[in-house]
Amino acid sequence: MALSKDELKAAIIDKATKAPKPQLYVKDFYACDPEAKPREVKNVANDLVKEGKLMFWSSGSTTMYAIPTRIKNEETKNQSND
Amino acid sequence: MPKHDTPLLDELEKGPWPSFVTDLKRQAETKPECWDILGQLELSFKDKITHWKHGGIVGVFGYGGGIVGRYSDSPKQFPGVAHFHTVRLNQPSSKFYSSAKLRDICNLWEKYGSGMTNMHGSTGDLVLLGTRTENLEPLFYDLTHDLNQDLGGSGSNLRTPSCCIGTARCEWACYDTASLCHHLTMHYQDEIHRPAFPYKFKFKMSGCPNDCVASIARSDFSVIGTWKDDIRIDQAAVQAYIKGEYKPNGGARTKSKAFDMDADVMALCPTKCMRMKDGKLQIDNKNCTRCMHCLNMMPRALRPGTVKGASILCGAKAPILDGAQLATLIFPFIEINPDSDYEEVIEIIESIWDWWMETGKNRERLGETMQRVGLPTFLKVMNVDPIPQHIKIPRENPYVFWTDEEVPGGFERDVREFRKKHAQ
Repeated sequence: MALSKDELKAAIIDKATKAPKPQLYVKDFYACDPEAKPREVKNVANDLVKEGKLMFWSSGSTTMYAIPTRIKNEETKNQSND
Repeated sequence: MPKHDTPLLDELEKGPWPSFVTDLKRQAETKPECWDILGQLELSFKDKITHWKHGGIVGVFGYGGGIVGRYSDSPKQFPGVAHFHTVRLNQPSSKFYSSAKLRDICNLWEKYGSGMTNMHGSTGDLVLLGTRTENLEPLFYDLTHDLNQDLGGSGSNLRTPSCCIGTARCEWACYDTASLCHHLTMHYQDEIHRPAFPYKFKFKMSGCPNDCVASIARSDFSVIGTWKDDIRIDQAAVQAYIKGEYKPNGGARTKSKAFDMDADVMALCPTKCMRMKDGKLQIDNKNCTRCMHCLNMMPRALRPGTVKGASILCGAKAPILDGAQLATLIFPFIEINPDSDYEEVIEIIESIWDWWMETGKNRERLGETMQRVGLPTFLKVMNVDPIPQHIKIPRENPYVFWTDEEVPGGFERDVREFRKKHAQ
């Protein structure tokens, strides 16, 4: 890993905040530290879920990550459109 | 009293088989939301489109799998199924339960859900159908604290590993499938409960090539029991089958005609590696492909060899994107050794994951990645030398693609030197 664990956490949150869509695949976070192994990035992303800074979003067949406030707003918007 | 008219669904109760419609109507007497399942399904039959929406942020804290969010797209018309989430429970290895455990699970589901179940889903889990978002955390608390029962996998997680009954009840099993399944389930808890991969990943373990869990057709990582040495033959029992003293196929054969060794066994051997000589059955074991047909027909006469292990196959999947795909044999034989905590199996799994997590595209199953990069590349990644068993038929086109390292001297050459030998 080129980044420390905390730096990687910050980079992941930054990516999840600025990405055009609120839901991101774990693979989308690999670019946050190209030198880190995919499993290391996955473990850091899952730590962020435990801390409540990210949350899981599931399509049913695929599980993705999202910033809680962003995804909740999106879901509320979708429900009011239904 | 039915809440919705369901003339189309009622037709399904008229056939000779038990109908889920009847089950739902019976369940609706105590769980009124089941009327709305029937009503919504009737509407789907009329509209020829599903009225379920799935996915979302439902789940239990810290888990990225085990709950599949499901909602009605017509909640005002069918309020009982406005939320109708599916809960997957990790089934015990080989699906051995006590009846008390099943009662406890069903009682819990009557308390928190619709009471409807699907035992089992195609992944292997116990599937509990239909609950509301606010019931999920209390249900999960009771499941884990009172029943010592965990959720299974869903989404891009490792899916709940599943296996056949193995050595627990089957004499053909070449390794203890339940033990390996349990070990992998415990070893990879994080991968089962949290997303780890580009897409779903499934382990399935069968004790012999009969492959009762269809791992060759349904799993990314298929462990199929096999043997290295010769099929064990009891010649006296072979004669007993020929004379009609033993019923073929364990008595399950439906044909009324007498057992015919030539027609029923030897003619159906895919590699024709069997023959009768001087009244004795001979098998050319080197040419046996472990199809299991002869063992299935004469279980008292033929048994797997004694040097047992498993073949590893990779990349099967159901038809979602590119169509159904059977698994490809990668390792013809490995030992399945519980004394080393299945170290050899785990090493193979993790080399696949390390590669696939980097190379696989989002929502691409391992089999699709293998197909995209080609088997030679995958074999190199796995550090496996190609062998005849890796291919189905000899190649049909004359082009062989060599890499620079595979050609003595590489592709760099002196053209003038070349032309000296090949005059224009």
